[in-house]
Amino acid sequence: MRRGIAFLAVTVALAASGCSGSAEPADSDSGTITWWDTSDATTEAPTYQALVAQFQAQHPKIKVNYVNVPFSDAEQKFKTAAQGGNGAPDVMRSDVGWTPAFAAQGYLLPLDGTPAVDQIGDFLAGPAGTAKYDGKMYGAPQVTDTLGLLYNKALFAKAGITAAPKTWPELKTASQALKAKAGVDGVYLNPDSYFLLPFLYGEGANLVDVANKKITINSPEAVKGVQTAQDLVASGAAAKPAYTDGYANMQAAFKDGKVGMIINGPWSASDIFAGKAFQDKANLGIAPVPAGSTGQAGSPVGGHNLVVYAGTKHAGAAEQFVQFMTSAASESTTAAKLGTLPARTSAYTSEVTANQVIASFQQAMAIAQPRLALPQASDLLGPLSQDYVKILQGEQAQAGLDNSAKEFAKLLPGWSAP
Amino acid sequence: MTVTLTRSTPAVTSPPPARVRRRGERSRLASIAYHATMITVSAVAVFPVLWVVYMSFGDADAWANPAEILRSPVTSNYGAVLRQHDGFLTWLGNSLVVAICTTLLGVLIAATAGYALSRMRFPGHRPLMWTFLVTQMFPVAILIVPLYNILSTLHLLNTYAGLVLTYCTISVPFCAWMLKGYFDTIPVEIDEAGRIDGCSPFGTFWKLVVPLARPGLAVTAFYTFLTAWGEVAYATQFMTTPDRYTLAVGLQTYVGQFKAEWGAMTAASVMISAFAAAVFFGVQRHLVSGLTAGAAK
Amino acid sequence: MTLLRRVLDRHWYAWAMVAPVVLVLALLVLYPLARGLWFSLTDANESNIGRTIGPNHIPSTYQFVGLDNYWHVLSGAEGHFYPVLAWTVVWTLICVALHYGIGLALALLLNQRARFRTGYRIMLILPWAVPPFVSVFAWRLLLNGQAGIVNKALGGLGLPAVAWLSDPTWQKVSVIGVNTWIGVPFMMVALLGGLQSIPAELYEAAEMDGASAWHRFRFVTVPSLRPISNTVILLGCIWTFNQFAIIFLLVGQAAGASSQILVTYAYQLAFSGVRDYSGSATYGALILSLLLVFAVVYRRRLGSPARENPT
Repeated sequence: MRRGIAFLAVTVALAASGCSGSAEPADSDSGTITWWDTSDATTEAPTYQALVAQFQAQHPKIKVNYVNVPFSDAEQKFKTAAQGGNGAPDVMRSDVGWTPAFAAQGYLLPLDGTPAVDQIGDFLAGPAGTAKYDGKMYGAPQVTDTLGLLYNKALFAKAGITAAPKTWPELKTASQALKAKAGVDGVYLNPDSYFLLPFLYGEGANLVDVANKKITINSPEAVKGVQTAQDLVASGAAAKPAYTDGYANMQAAFKDGKVGMIINGPWSASDIFAGKAFQDKANLGIAPVPAGSTGQAGSPVGGHNLVVYAGTKHAGAAEQFVQFMTSAASESTTAAKLGTLPARTSAYTSEVTANQVIASFQQAMAIAQPRLALPQASDLLGPLSQDYVKILQGEQAQAGLDNSAKEFAKLLPGWSAP
Repeated sequence: MTVTLTRSTPAVTSPPPARVRRRGERSRLASIAYHATMITVSAVAVFPVLWVVYMSFGDADAWANPAEILRSPVTSNYGAVLRQHDGFLTWLGNSLVVAICTTLLGVLIAATAGYALSRMRFPGHRPLMWTFLVTQMFPVAILIVPLYNILSTLHLLNTYAGLVLTYCTISVPFCAWMLKGYFDTIPVEIDEAGRIDGCSPFGTFWKLVVPLARPGLAVTAFYTFLTAWGEVAYATQFMTTPDRYTLAVGLQTYVGQFKAEWGAMTAASVMISAFAAAVFFGVQRHLVSGLTAGAAK
Repeated sequence: MTLLRRVLDRHWYAWAMVAPVVLVLALLVLYPLARGLWFSLTDANESNIGRTIGPNHIPSTYQFVGLDNYWHVLSGAEGHFYPVLAWTVVWTLICVALHYGIGLALALLLNQRARFRTGYRIMLILPWAVPPFVSVFAWRLLLNGQAGIVNKALGGLGLPAVAWLSDPTWQKVSVIGVNTWIGVPFMMVALLGGLQSIPAELYEAAEMDGASAWHRFRFVTVPSLRPISNTVILLGCIWTFNQFAIIFLLVGQAAGASSQILVTYAYQLAFSGVRDYSGSATYGALILSLLLVFAVVYRRRLGSPARENPT
């Protein structure tokens, strides 16, 4: 069958051209490795690419293929690539929430004792904890962060607000003042469950109780926390959030001086400084997130680890690269240029702490709470986001959180639900 | 006929006869209404595209303040998009490779089957026709998970071969179905003439029928190309690295949950649309006749 | 034996010409379909499916669960099937009605002699020429709650801004609107072709008999268009029911099941959060069954003229 053979030939040719496997020498400290970077392609990537160039200059036998993957798609893309064994990167910049999940699925190489986690005691306790799974270290902490309250100092002055609000009721009052005297929206709440965590932590609530294997998302404290957020939106103190492109709209409004306060992390600083309202960097105010009715404030510890794919063919080269990118020198450089917080104590040089963004977020880190020590932790945020959106649109908070609890139960079989 | 002379009174003059409308011509009012409707509808059809062109001249934050563009337009978006490493040009190349391979494979494999179904009544021709129709109803959802697993085992994820094979699941039944229709419109006398001349059925097909069915083949190829070019679901899941993205996947990287690079997105959109529109308008006259060739029966 | 020989002799050419397609279909469609159906009878998800990654070899631990998944979905225990199905049906009916209605109206208008007719035709086909994934992003920009030009225009007219892409009801209006914008040109072109192939003598004869414009439309145009109308409506229903790109790119996946149709929801199950392969396959099988039933009923009711008129 002429056609059948032709078809077969075409397929084989395509497969051969598509295969990326190259015959690299077995020498583990040389070769071409691929790094998936999830940083912002416009504002943060150039700094990381410069570091990659530096690494290649120091290690002439290793070539690094830099690939920028958008943060919102990276988790799923990595899972697809890791499971399929095709096109998976050797090194991946993994969000701290994903690292335990990837490790649990067998996608990562344990890094204990390898050059990748060099000077392990120098890492900050919180970030180091997020890189561990089942007693082994699977990632090297690269940056850490938390959420803070970012505000526009000029608008505050116009509204007569002298200090950043310390509790949610104070935030509501400040918002109303901004509306009345400065003519802008008070605060913009991103309708995403990660950004809901400060409200929950402020009431002493959490998604689940790991120690007792209990699902606590619909406990009375959690409901109270969510109702605070719901009330801010319903009362008009918070701008009406967009549910598609919510983060982008929040940033655009803040950068344009159309909203007085937002809750966001240090990664957004470089984007914010590109905006009209923050040409003068001193106009940006950063404070810890407000406290809830318990008087305690809490924000989630975030950040990124560099992880090594279990199926990598160049483990040695990958580990060298991870060591370089998470060294004190690299993390200081990143901090100085991008305003991110290093994950190593020795990286907090005076130059770094002189950066106003970093210094303010360091203070915000004081109230930061570690993430749940659970591989399913980041999977829980998905269903919670969907219910959070419905709650902000008017659904009863208790009903919405009860639904979240049901979804959590599917992900955590055997855990007790209230 | 008797002619009666009457003295006409000068004061009474009959008004000039009203202009009689020719049959099929519209009144002035109807004409205005017609053009008003068409202009409105055309405006709705064209406005989003024009808006995208307008926005492509804005900088990164222009999408929030559209009026700014009039004051300070920029052309840097086009340059930035074209210069991006593993960016627009790579994606364009990938889309073309995948779409062309899918079209060629689809038309080649399906052509002989379409002819056989059109001309020959062989056992199994009914079930085969039904299979073609049914496979066109397959939602992405039923095949994407097993195809993902199969391609994953064969290490064909993130390769051209994997995606082309996936698209063949859509293009081959579609081409076979459409080509059967086109071959139906070619009179059987041609086949008989070929048989009288001593050609084998395959020879008749290749030398006599295919040249006559060229418009039908072209239209089928065009629809297949369009489908492969615009496919989103499989491409998004199966192509994981930017150097293999098709345009559908690449465009999604500009605007996501945490970023909104509308400047780059609109510039890329304009370039894709210009390319697609150029091809489209060259072919569109034949599309109408192509579609009706089968339906007119 | 001779009967078999005779059958083979007569038909081997046909089978040989059909073989490539049959091979491709069997390998690429039937085998994955069977595997998909198999997955729907198990509890496979990304944690228990077998994989080998470097030194880690994890065996398959998913199990056969029979029709459990189907029962779970159809009984409402899973909670999403019926609302999503209802919206999918509403979405399909409204979109196809709008596509056909507006497409027919525009085809009738374009069929008339008028100045600038070619110009209008080119402008009206433009939404079809632009690839769908490009148009959807254009609309996403236009309908943005804060910064989109549509809301700014409404604001200019003194009307309140509408949360086109955020409010669940307005989201549904938006996706229907965008799908109509994208889908009308195809219907228009197909029906225009049909109109142009109606012989003018039929209209003249009707006019001689004193038929008004409406009567001419009802008794000449509509019946003549019937074959092509049936085909495009059937195609339109199937394509709209399975339309992935518009809802995936306009609404996204972050908002849960509220505005998803069956195909995008099944995709969401397979590729977000903890990937539920068996759940997604179950939905896929159900979608396919629904469409099969629809196609059979549709063709029965119309006496299957489409079989002789594939286009």
